[in-house]
Amino acid sequence: MNRLACMNRSFFRVFNQNVNSKSKLLCAPKYGAPTVYLVRATHEQKKTRSTMNYMIALGVMTVGLSYAAVPLYRIFCQAYSYGGTVGHSDADESVSKMQAVKDRPLKIRFNADVASSMQWNFKPQQGDITVVPGETALAFYTARNPTDKPVVGISTYNVIPFEAGQYFNKIQCFCFEEQQLNPHEKVDMPVFFYIDPEFMEDPRMEYVDEIVLSYTFFEAKEGFKLPVPSYAK
Amino acid sequence: MSTAMTFGQKQFIPTPPDKGSFPLDHDGVCKKSMIKYMNCLFNNDSNNSMCRVEAKDYLACRMEHNLMAKEDWSKLGFKDGDLEISEKKK
Repeated sequence: MNRLACMNRSFFRVFNQNVNSKSKLLCAPKYGAPTVYLVRATHEQKKTRSTMNYMIALGVMTVGLSYAAVPLYRIFCQAYSYGGTVGHSDADESVSKMQAVKDRPLKIRFNADVASSMQWNFKPQQGDITVVPGETALAFYTARNPTDKPVVGISTYNVIPFEAGQYFNKIQCFCFEEQQLNPHEKVDMPVFFYIDPEFMEDPRMEYVDEIVLSYTFFEAKEGFKLPVPSYAK
Repeated sequence: MSTAMTFGQKQFIPTPPDKGSFPLDHDGVCKKSMIKYMNCLFNNDSNNSMCRVEAKDYLACRMEHNLMAKEDWSKLGFKDGDLEISEKKK
């Protein structure tokens, strides 16, 4: 930069000297050439610098956008429930306002599984229950600890068919929290849920009359990570 | 359910329950209500619409014994109209 300034100054000095001398060859390209080249050179320099600035700005903007995209995407998904993400809508209000759709009975089948290393006896109390969308329903599972020491379990669930899972709303259940069973203890575990009335408006659900709800219990040991996304906890 | 073969397929994302988890009923205080509910389901061919009253009783029992947070019935989906219908059907 300094060198450039010096060069500019020296060129200007030359230019001035040429201008001040009353030479008729003032306008000859021989003397104008370095000036023209100088102007062109500085112009080129400016263009290059400005292009470089633009490129750097573009790079910084891209990096910034990619960092900002993570929370923005999450907000977008929550607002529009895209891809099954649960939005922070008022669950209470929607439950109190929803109307049962009496003409579409659905059969909910219950399935209970236990991890292979888990020694509880876990089974549903009812094999199935007939429910209509928009109506809350209660179902029971029973778990028994046949061993002589307390066992802590944690459960997760699954809904089949996959597309029906987004309409399956649980008001309260026993999943995702550690539950301890004392030795030889038997306990009833309720699930309170409903099928969202928007189920009726989904064309893919037209032929769905049966939904399977499947719970699986794992043993909760130190450092055990349930195979669910972290926000569920 | 998510094995190597399910890469690229839609993954089921379990969602947490709206009101959290039921505390376990270790002492079996609400067992009677539960048995009533189960009997009702058995008698009505597992039809939930007929057994709303028993379900409500069970939840009331839970609330009474501090096994569930107290909530308005409307927030739990129990409207007065529904309960009357299931009463009439009995």
